[in-house]
Amino acid sequence: MYSADIRQPLVTGGKTYSDVTADICRPIENKPTNSWWLGFSIGVVLLLVLAGTLAWTVWEGIGTWNTNKSVMWGWDITNFVFWVGIGHAGTLISAVLLLFRQKWRMSINRSAEAMTIFAVFCAAIFPLFHMGRVWLGFWPLPLPNAFGSLWVNFNSPLLWDVFAISTYLSVSLVFWYLGLIPDIATVRDRATSKARKYWYGFFAMGWNGSAKSWGRYEVVALILAGISTPLVLSVHTIVSMDFATSVIPGWHTTIFPPYFVAGAIFSGFGMVLTLLLIARHVMNYQDYITKEHLEAMTKVILLTGSVVGLAYITEFVIAAYSGYEYEQYAFANRMFGPYAWAYWTMMFCNLMAPQVFWSKWARTTPWFIFVISIVVNIGMWFERFVIIVTSLHRDFLPSSWVMYHATWVEVGIFLGTFGLFFTCFFLFAKFLPVINMAEIKTIIKDKE
Amino acid sequence: MSSNKYWKGVEELDQTQEFVSSNANEFSEGLPLEQVFSNDDSTRANRRDFLKYFGFGLGAVTLAACNKAPIKKAIPYVEKPDNVTPGVPLYYASSSVSNTEGFPVLVKVREGRPIKFEPNKEATYFGGGLDGLGHSALLSLYDTNRLKGAMVAGKRKPIAWKDFDKEIVTALNKVKAAGKSIAIVTDGSTSLLSQQAIADFSATYNNTDVVSYEPISYSGITRANNASFGKAIIPAYNFQNADVIVSFGADFLGTWISPIKFHSDYSKNRVPKNGKMSKHYQFESIMSLTGSNADVRVPMKMSNVGQHLVALYRELGGATPHKGMEVAGNNIKNAAEELRAAGNKGLVVCGSNNEADQLLVNAINMMLGGYGTTIDTTNYYMGQNADEAAFTSFLSKAKSGAYGAVITLGSNPVYSYSGAEDILAKIPLRISTSITMDETSSNATHVATDLHPLESWDIKQPYKGRFILAQPTISPVFEGRQASSSLAAWAGADVSEKNELSHAYKYAKKVFSSAVGGDFNKALELGVVENTSSPSVPSFNITGGEAADALATKKGSATELVLYQKVGVRDGAYGNTPWAHEMPDPVSKVTWDNYLTMSMPDAKANDISTGDVVKVTVPTGSIQIPVLIQPGQTKSTYGIALGYGRVLPDDVKNDLKDLGQNAYPLVDMKGGFADYTIGDVKIERVTGASTYEFGITQTHYSIEGRDIIREATLDEYNIDPLAGSHVHKPKMISLWDDYDYSKGHHWAMAIDLNSCTGCSACIVSCSIENNVPIVGRDEVRRRREMHWLRIDRYYSFEAPTKKDLELSIVHGGDQTVEAGEQMTKEKVMEAYSEASEDKSTAYNYYENVKVAHQPMMCQHCDNAPCETVCPVLATTHSSEGLNQMTYNRCIGTKYCGNNCPYKVRRFNWFRYNENEKFDYHFSNDLGKMVINPDVTVRSRGVMEKCSFCVQRIQSTKLTAKRENRKMNTDEFTTACAQTCPSNAIVFGDLNDKSSEIAQLYANDRSYHVLEELGVKPSVQYMTKIRNTKATSTKKAH
Repeated sequence: MYSADIRQPLVTGGKTYSDVTADICRPIENKPTNSWWLGFSIGVVLLLVLAGTLAWTVWEGIGTWNTNKSVMWGWDITNFVFWVGIGHAGTLISAVLLLFRQKWRMSINRSAEAMTIFAVFCAAIFPLFHMGRVWLGFWPLPLPNAFGSLWVNFNSPLLWDVFAISTYLSVSLVFWYLGLIPDIATVRDRATSKARKYWYGFFAMGWNGSAKSWGRYEVVALILAGISTPLVLSVHTIVSMDFATSVIPGWHTTIFPPYFVAGAIFSGFGMVLTLLLIARHVMNYQDYITKEHLEAMTKVILLTGSVVGLAYITEFVIAAYSGYEYEQYAFANRMFGPYAWAYWTMMFCNLMAPQVFWSKWARTTPWFIFVISIVVNIGMWFERFVIIVTSLHRDFLPSSWVMYHATWVEVGIFLGTFGLFFTCFFLFAKFLPVINMAEIKTIIKDKE
Repeated sequence: MSSNKYWKGVEELDQTQEFVSSNANEFSEGLPLEQVFSNDDSTRANRRDFLKYFGFGLGAVTLAACNKAPIKKAIPYVEKPDNVTPGVPLYYASSSVSNTEGFPVLVKVREGRPIKFEPNKEATYFGGGLDGLGHSALLSLYDTNRLKGAMVAGKRKPIAWKDFDKEIVTALNKVKAAGKSIAIVTDGSTSLLSQQAIADFSATYNNTDVVSYEPISYSGITRANNASFGKAIIPAYNFQNADVIVSFGADFLGTWISPIKFHSDYSKNRVPKNGKMSKHYQFESIMSLTGSNADVRVPMKMSNVGQHLVALYRELGGATPHKGMEVAGNNIKNAAEELRAAGNKGLVVCGSNNEADQLLVNAINMMLGGYGTTIDTTNYYMGQNADEAAFTSFLSKAKSGAYGAVITLGSNPVYSYSGAEDILAKIPLRISTSITMDETSSNATHVATDLHPLESWDIKQPYKGRFILAQPTISPVFEGRQASSSLAAWAGADVSEKNELSHAYKYAKKVFSSAVGGDFNKALELGVVENTSSPSVPSFNITGGEAADALATKKGSATELVLYQKVGVRDGAYGNTPWAHEMPDPVSKVTWDNYLTMSMPDAKANDISTGDVVKVTVPTGSIQIPVLIQPGQTKSTYGIALGYGRVLPDDVKNDLKDLGQNAYPLVDMKGGFADYTIGDVKIERVTGASTYEFGITQTHYSIEGRDIIREATLDEYNIDPLAGSHVHKPKMISLWDDYDYSKGHHWAMAIDLNSCTGCSACIVSCSIENNVPIVGRDEVRRRREMHWLRIDRYYSFEAPTKKDLELSIVHGGDQTVEAGEQMTKEKVMEAYSEASEDKSTAYNYYENVKVAHQPMMCQHCDNAPCETVCPVLATTHSSEGLNQMTYNRCIGTKYCGNNCPYKVRRFNWFRYNENEKFDYHFSNDLGKMVINPDVTVRSRGVMEKCSFCVQRIQSTKLTAKRENRKMNTDEFTTACAQTCPSNAIVFGDLNDKSSEIAQLYANDRSYHVLEELGVKPSVQYMTKIRNTKATSTKKAH
């Protein structure tokens, strides 16, 4: 067959169909490696830290954190927005790129989606536990109740968050699971033990690989992609409205929705890169996650990083132009106030650092990409910290200006969510195929 | 005995084999054990039973595992006392607890428990306000450390009063027989009951000496008055009659003599009327509350006050002007000019305790003609007239062993008089009458535990001819006995209760009819009786010239330490009242601590910053204390507050264990009087001491040029009543309809920044009314104080030059300042000073600061940002304009608190009640009695904030409804407005067009804070007018 060498092959190493199956099923069918055990153990330890710090918070009260009379949200909501942002890449990769027929997504979408789901789990912890009375955490749900005329406040962006995030989580979960079915069936078919056969068979939901099944599978995938695509925009738009609809200078900004969405994609790709580079190295998937993939993703990072950087500058210019002293002060205070170090960390990590991806070498050197992806993750955490804390710590009345530093409990909860995330991710890598075998088989002979 | 034999059956009669064997068994028939234990059908049929038992067992275990339903004991009155209706408060006129001289109050009593002090509005002379400490002292009634009865040293448990009295009388008689004297050390109280009891006691024991002791002395004034016109008194000062007030170090709004009354008098002339308001000069070394309110505040060395007085005296024409007397720039000259123009409406006061200074003050006031108008020596002040010279001579007599017994009647010299402990220990019989184990009681042999003032009868006379009646508002909580009754008992009287009438009651009635006269019951109802005479002008025996000449040569010292009192805890007598400690100091905003105040130039010169622990050495002693750099502090002067470092009983909890440093030992007694200004100060940093972190509620002191407090000068205001308010803001257009308040009420508040002095009484009043928890020093450090009402205090620097502003990056200037440092005006000033070439004047800005106070509480916005963001509608808007908080619905997202532009919402970070860590009074049964039953005690994890005292609105409404009439807005007011001694806060119904609030809303000075946000607050502030020279004479457009 003739093919033009315009693009590099999407899967290298001259893989055959059986190679693909064997390679991808290997971690599932063999005993876990030492590196898996190491990673998983660290994850579990951190998960225990999460359990401990959350239990302490609930037992003693949010007073164990250092949030105070002026900065009532600190690391908690910073972490929430950080994790929700990370969750964005999954949907973008699986839904938007599917609609745009970007086939390079096929080897990364599974893990990106898994990451999305785990990130949303981590994110959900924060709005729940930042409540003073977490045991009443179901009250923001519009449940019919026996308390009289109690109802939720549809004006509140926090309520919109409840809907946005639960929708996002459920759609992402369904989409991810749907994509897993053919591969689970493959694992089922290769299973040798009774238990594996039973459980994989159970989750394969009787997949038989018939043309009819495939046809329906494709249609449902497209429909779900159609549903998910607006969610890519809506979730972080709504999260940004937590801030944009308020009156606090530094929060009350109309630029927030697009800026947050770009930031979310940026941070999501940062995290996807971090994870894939580890997985690629540990599981020897260099042939499936090629430099081509890395390059494509670094381009997305470069684009969204620049969009975010532009937003930072626009925000500042608009504040200066507004002639509104509180707004001007809020932004000047970010740059030169006591949290200036956080602002400049953010500027360096998010605006400056990704610019290295203009260079082809940077885009194709895995260790370097890994470093930058970590930098991006750090930068995006600081972006949320800067927005939340520096706006609150010095707002309208100078009498209420305060400083805020996290306690070990807050730090512990944040580290603990990484425990939750990695524990989930390592379990996922052990029990489910991290690359979509069925889809990848459609492109192994393809250079497109 | 009958030989008849009875038998049950023929078997028994026959004694058959079968019968004999079966009769040996207890049961004639065998038990069906096989059936029970066998595995046949009969047990299998028990499956149902098993399920029954299992079900029952499970149910029982589940029920047993459920939390016990809380046991609530509501014990009804067996016999309902007259007038007591559960849920309806009773008000009794009485006297404030914290003022030994007496101050009229109403005590609010619910179900037999006093729960709050409220000002007695009938007592117009005293001004109808109250201070923070006065409110706080209520908690001393419910103090768990109160002694439970008569105590004898070495015994843990109280003994019976009968045995106690027997022991005391025997001992006192032994003293008499031994030819030794008995000393009674009073607390300078103006109590007529005590005086009568002492007189009765002295009649029986004619070997009795009476000496009066108070921690803070005003003897300089009494001795000067004695020298000037033969009356050793403190006069009554009438600030309301003064058009020009010149104060030399007298903190008359904060701590000097009778500040609550002075507050209300002073504020009467502070709101411009007909183009006039009083002018206030303050010369002082520390930044006092009074100084922060002065129109012209001049930093001065207190040790140099004599020179200033001489300069003023000569400037006023009292003697030929002396060339060497040029002090304080033109300020003395200006003050003299204005005083001369004011004539007898000018008043000069001085905080010095030096007789010579006070003599000259008398001469100046005499020259102005103020006696009779601004100073009243006829109806003079009776309190705080203890003379430390008398106490010193008592001590030296005690040292020589002349005394066999001492009775400390409410006084606590061991705490506040250095060296008193050792000397008193030489007296074999030491009887104290305090209500807790204070420093003097712990060193006593006997404690005749007094009743708390709220359990006692008393008649006080704070001013000559003005009497205050105090009546019990609760039956004694413990087995104490009123001190006057104790004295009477030892003098041989029978003090037992007869016909349910206590000895003190009968005593009070007797004293009333002899000393006051009139209708006792009527007087009790009103709480005050006035028998005053018209003021006369005393004739002077001394000429000012001599006094001036005596002072002219006395130079101030190079460095000085000023011992002052803080507005919160004052002299420290009520050290065990956490409310007073949690109340931020009106000037420094520090809670729970005292500290060394230091000027910025001195701090920079010694490389000391706030929180550094230093060793302060003066000739009288030394003390280790953390530093607080205080704007306004005069260079080379230092200040330490007295009243701290109390040694409270061992079982006090939390922060009450550690209450700063006791500075009383530093008081200089060398001159024969207590001198609170000590020269020759050495400051050295304590090496190795870690930086001390204060619990401070406001760490940022510059207003950053923001339009939050509006101010103008009097001249500007007279030209244009809108002066200070000409801020050009876009016209606000709303997309939505406004709330319609045309029906019913529309609650609103107006706060006059001119009258508000920042005294912080409202903060404590609010906290008590609304059960606001006390959180302690550490939580304040973490910026989590719970006060619903705070007072923002801003310093502004004297006319910043263009160069200062250029340094600010915000205004685009040069970059000599490190990034991260220059984002605030205070940092700009500091950086500017640091960059300045002349180091000697570099930090002078910090001496000449102006101060503004602004009470800040929930603004009850119409378009409240907090209301829209709550996901569960826990905070909503009422039809009467209130922003309401539904605690039960709150889940604690804290979003409302973040979105509040005024940052007035407070979150319950912990469970503050029933929590050992926060046990100030919320966690013990006694302390809980002070809780206002009308207000919910909030649980952990909910938001709270000012409610405009909605419980008062509701109860007034309900009363009106029950009486089938319309409610009047002046029927009630909020706790803050009610207690304000300067009437700066006015609350009311805007729909009542005749109300004071409606008129204030129409006032030209009214404005809303942050009105450009469009949140439409229901609290209006009124522009602060300073009586200084105009900066611009043009009418703004």
